[in-house]
Amino acid sequence: MTPSPSGLGTGEAPAPPWRPVTRPEIDAFLRALMAAYEVVGVQEAGGRLALARLEDPGRLRLAYPPRVHSPKKFLFPNWEKLFRFRLKGAVLLEPERAAAPRVLFGVHPCDLHAVRTLDDCLFEGQADSAYRAKRDATVLVGVDCEPDPHCFCTSLGTDRVADGFDLFLHRDGEGYLVQVGSPRGEALLGRYAPGVAARPEAPPLPLQPKRTSRALGFPPGELAPLLDQRYDHPIWTELGDACLGCGTCTLLCPTCYCFTVQDRLHLDLAGGERLRTWDSCQFDQFARLSGGAEARAGQADRQRHRFFRKYVYLWEKHRRAACVGCGRCSRECLAGIDPTEVLDRLHGLGPGAEAPVSAPPGAEYHPQLATLVSAAALTDRDQHLVLRLPEPAEVAPGAFLAVSVFGLGEAPFTAAAAARDGREVELVVRAAGNLSRALHRLRAGDTVGIRGPFGQGYPVAAMVGQDLLLVAGGLGIVALRALVRAVLARRLEFGRVQLLYGAATPEQFLFREELAAWHRGGQVDLRLIANETPAGGWWGPRGDVTRLLRDLDLAPERTVAAVSGPAAMYRFTNPLLLRLGVAPERLYLNLERHMKCGLGKCGKCRINDLCVCECGPVFPYSQVQHLREAIER
Amino acid sequence: MKPRVGFFDFTGCEGCQLTVLNLEDELLELLELVDLAEFREVLTGGGGPLEIAFVEGSIVGPAQEARLRAVRARSRFLVALGACADTAGVNALGASRDSGALVAAVYGPGAILPELGPPRPVAAVVPVDARVPGCPVDGAEFLHVLQALLVGRAPELPHYSVCVECKLAELPCTFDRGRVCLGPVTRAGCHARCLAGGDRCRGCRGLVDNPRSEPYYRILADHGLTEAEVVAEFGLFNLAGRGGR
Amino acid sequence: MKIEVRHLTRIEGHAHLEVDLERGELVACRLEVAEAPRFFEAILVGRPAGEVAPLASRICGVCSHSHTLASLLATEAALGVTVSEQTRGLRRLLAYGELLQSHLLHLYFLALPDYLGAPGLVPPAPGHRELATRALRMKKLANDLLWAVGGRPVHPVTPCVGGFAAVPEPGVLQGLRGRLVAALPDLEATVELFGGFAYPDLPRETELVALGGGGYPFLGDTLVLGDGSPWPAAAYPEALGEYLAPDSTAKLAATPRGAYRVGPQARLRHRFGALSPMAARTAAALGVTPGVANPYRAVLARVVEVVHCTEEALFEIDRLLLAGLAPEPPAEPRRGAGGGRGVGAVEAPRGLLLHAYRYDEAGRLVAADCLIPTAQSLGALRGDLAAAVRAFAHLPEPELTRRLELLLRAYDPCLSCATHRVTRRSP
Repeated sequence: MTPSPSGLGTGEAPAPPWRPVTRPEIDAFLRALMAAYEVVGVQEAGGRLALARLEDPGRLRLAYPPRVHSPKKFLFPNWEKLFRFRLKGAVLLEPERAAAPRVLFGVHPCDLHAVRTLDDCLFEGQADSAYRAKRDATVLVGVDCEPDPHCFCTSLGTDRVADGFDLFLHRDGEGYLVQVGSPRGEALLGRYAPGVAARPEAPPLPLQPKRTSRALGFPPGELAPLLDQRYDHPIWTELGDACLGCGTCTLLCPTCYCFTVQDRLHLDLAGGERLRTWDSCQFDQFARLSGGAEARAGQADRQRHRFFRKYVYLWEKHRRAACVGCGRCSRECLAGIDPTEVLDRLHGLGPGAEAPVSAPPGAEYHPQLATLVSAAALTDRDQHLVLRLPEPAEVAPGAFLAVSVFGLGEAPFTAAAAARDGREVELVVRAAGNLSRALHRLRAGDTVGIRGPFGQGYPVAAMVGQDLLLVAGGLGIVALRALVRAVLARRLEFGRVQLLYGAATPEQFLFREELAAWHRGGQVDLRLIANETPAGGWWGPRGDVTRLLRDLDLAPERTVAAVSGPAAMYRFTNPLLLRLGVAPERLYLNLERHMKCGLGKCGKCRINDLCVCECGPVFPYSQVQHLREAIER
Repeated sequence: MKPRVGFFDFTGCEGCQLTVLNLEDELLELLELVDLAEFREVLTGGGGPLEIAFVEGSIVGPAQEARLRAVRARSRFLVALGACADTAGVNALGASRDSGALVAAVYGPGAILPELGPPRPVAAVVPVDARVPGCPVDGAEFLHVLQALLVGRAPELPHYSVCVECKLAELPCTFDRGRVCLGPVTRAGCHARCLAGGDRCRGCRGLVDNPRSEPYYRILADHGLTEAEVVAEFGLFNLAGRGGR
Repeated sequence: MKIEVRHLTRIEGHAHLEVDLERGELVACRLEVAEAPRFFEAILVGRPAGEVAPLASRICGVCSHSHTLASLLATEAALGVTVSEQTRGLRRLLAYGELLQSHLLHLYFLALPDYLGAPGLVPPAPGHRELATRALRMKKLANDLLWAVGGRPVHPVTPCVGGFAAVPEPGVLQGLRGRLVAALPDLEATVELFGGFAYPDLPRETELVALGGGGYPFLGDTLVLGDGSPWPAAAYPEALGEYLAPDSTAKLAATPRGAYRVGPQARLRHRFGALSPMAARTAAALGVTPGVANPYRAVLARVVEVVHCTEEALFEIDRLLLAGLAPEPPAEPRRGAGGGRGVGAVEAPRGLLLHAYRYDEAGRLVAADCLIPTAQSLGALRGDLAAAVRAFAHLPEPELTRRLELLLRAYDPCLSCATHRVTRRSP
């Protein structure tokens, strides 16, 4: 019995056998399983149905309405410890976590499909090891369902499953036929229900078509292209006006897995745990950036994001809609938002990759310790930190690192310079919240947690031989400074380098001395502009950085532009640069969002279907110009 | 030296202080961490500068205001403990009526009580550094706020609504049982205890930062509430609101 | 000599004590209640029947279950709702749980420090840690009983008009039963601890009023007056008068025979024979009798009641489990939504608590009267304070002050809820 999902549904046995089984035999099977596994199933508790640990096989409900939590509750729990930490130097012993063996007994076909969507998303790229550990240790036993008025699984083809389970119970008169779906399922039956396993096979039941009262009026294959044309449809505003933002739809959705991460301290304040909990794109402040701006401020944007994610983005990625038609979202929606209704109205108008894991569970979230080499104030709120990495790493200009202070949490910071000898990295930390203020208090020799580098930075190799036009606004200089430093290391291979840099006041220019030295040395053509000059003593131009673009001479055919600043700035700089003749594919934008996990999982930094932390934060404009959330906000 | 912590009660039922005392499993360990310098309900003595003052109850009248200001002056952090301190809570309900008539109704005609003015949230009198909402407070949340202040981080409250905790507890929607519920606009953090107990949410923890009021009003109207009833529903614990607004 | 204690500590609510003595003669003895009035009765007016109890609960955080129960009984009496035996059993369990947590809080955290010579039990002085641990353990058990049955120790959520919106799982009650049995050694230690202290002697014959009826009742509809005569709770205004004192926002109450007292000693006076077997043995061991009441020894009466309620809670859990505890829909009003008048009477930890309501035809509350235990005992407390000053005037001032504070705490006054005095007009 190898607990590996790779053994699931690979069809090693040509015709998985079906065998008759009675309810008393199922109870005996459950009782035997409970000796070795935690068995979880639907049962009544406190006058309601719940998916919970089973203590008494007789209480398991095999026929139940679909109004219960999905397997997500156990495979990707709302409250999960990623690791423990100590604030004082004491030995920390933590077992390599292995998930407890568990059987989910009685999973409806739609939810089995949903597990595959979770697999698609969470095994993709760097696999989420906490999920993987649970997934590997969980046996799935499916059962027939009876649709209720909110189900529309028949529209998405999720009303039945061919594989993706270990065992499946088909109702047959008073009893059941158990279908084996994996070698593990066969082995389980043999060990814990030998009488059933030894029984002669029965012929498989003919497919029973299910009837649902709700259904899409068109084939699901049309969904993605349809929605793509309905991005600006008025229905999103209507949904936004009706939606309470309570997040029920996403919490109950069997495929939604966005999460947030927080530190919980122990009572003695000597240590704590880093936890992950479910988050929701429907929540106020879900897409809040440091500094307070909201990337998806309106409920209409949030609802549209949910639909696009379910029916477009993930479909395009995995060829599987992330909706299984279970109806949980509409069943519990106080505002009565019903996907079939929405999708039909829009229409009227007009097996996942399994990356091998070698790291221990949770390691991708577990920071390493970096030592602070030096800290210096750049302005009254910006601190320049130099960190020594525990292991050499290649930090591309534009890439970022996740820095954490245990007890306060973790946040992304863009590298201000590529790592010197691969061991040192420079960051700029602006005092904004608890974490950044704590970083300001650090002294040389202190340690911080660090993960990364993450993200795609500037393609320096592709810029060789070109003129560079760099436009920075505010903190955006940090990424461009890293780029200039990389360019200066091989200055002769590049043409002219122009750096235009705007700040709110002259006091807020970062690295001003260094930039000026580059200018004086003739390596970089630097132009500064300040918006306000309350303190006086400024002899440069006043206004915002677009003013510097007005009278610029450049040779567009050999110029690569890189703009880095607040997203709102791009709305003004992009048209000017395009008018100057810069091609969209030669215009690079820095679209930093709140990149929480760095692994393309948590969903915090998503711009439409792109995860900024994975595909960005530096994007050629040609790649993002169709993404409405990139520049519009 | 351990940071000194004090508890102060004003106009309220003392249920939030009691909830702190009901942290039986944590209390002794907590007292290893802080010096319980003042807690009139269970402790004789007090005075001196404090790291954190927890203030329970609404503030009524000049004498209480002066006592609160004195507490503020000797405390580094001041925390509003519970709905009465945070939003004036149910106390504000009495204040919405004519106070002379109220005294007459309660103490009989001719009774003379000092004119005290309406019960006010703590933040209407002195600056408040943090708050623990709820009627009564949630013991675990009180601990989180205390811990955050002790390690020097700004305490954070959930920004989502009680619906989230209700769904996580796998409870049936109160509206489905034919009753209205303030869960969709009320700040989470209570683990939906009232709903788990078969009751409805009355909003004792105050509203979320950006309540989706418009769609919520429509849902209440769909459930047959008149405008006055909607206002009464919101006002049960949120009449005065934070900062006496 | 002037004695003045402002913001008396280790009591529920705010009060100041002032005593003026001249050459050993009492000139004045004032107990000033310094709580701001909260006008609860006015807040309740206009509320629909189902919303009254959750608000009434907020009168007092320490006895929120008693207020909830009295409120529900009054509403049910007014609307003609008859509840099931299961509901009555669960409500008794709530009353026991609340009495336990309130008495234990009083005994260990408010009263005990006086006898230990400590400012408080938490933080525990060196040598008191084990005491504190035991006190917290016992209090937690009482609170866990309230969690299980009421949904929360402060301001319960499950009790509703007609019954319970949610009932505990039988397994949870079984677990609590086991813990109650396991707590008996803690009870024995408690009896021994409080039996070992010397209590000042102040024999005072006071009118003692409690709930009447069979057994040792906590919910009921009959009162028993000082002379032992029964009196219908619904007719309480004729038996229990009240007046407003100029120095108090709490109203004071009196029977025709003068100030009276409610609480543990009143219950023991009238229902001594109905004590549970363990409680009767405890009373005998501590020398607690139904006879002349020394208010200082109210502390011992509470110890007896803690034993009684622990044992009764055990019996009650057994009865509920035997009868097959299961969720049931709340009982409906007999007379539809029609109006009416009703009185609910319960024994709160501090004594007799009455809520009297009148509802209109639409089922909305039009008038309310709440008779709070501490307010009823306040007159007797003043009398006892004066008597104590006279009896102990020969003592040095610190000891006299200590004895006065001791007496005050022995009453376990709850002033935060005593200040919601209500209209004299009966509803």
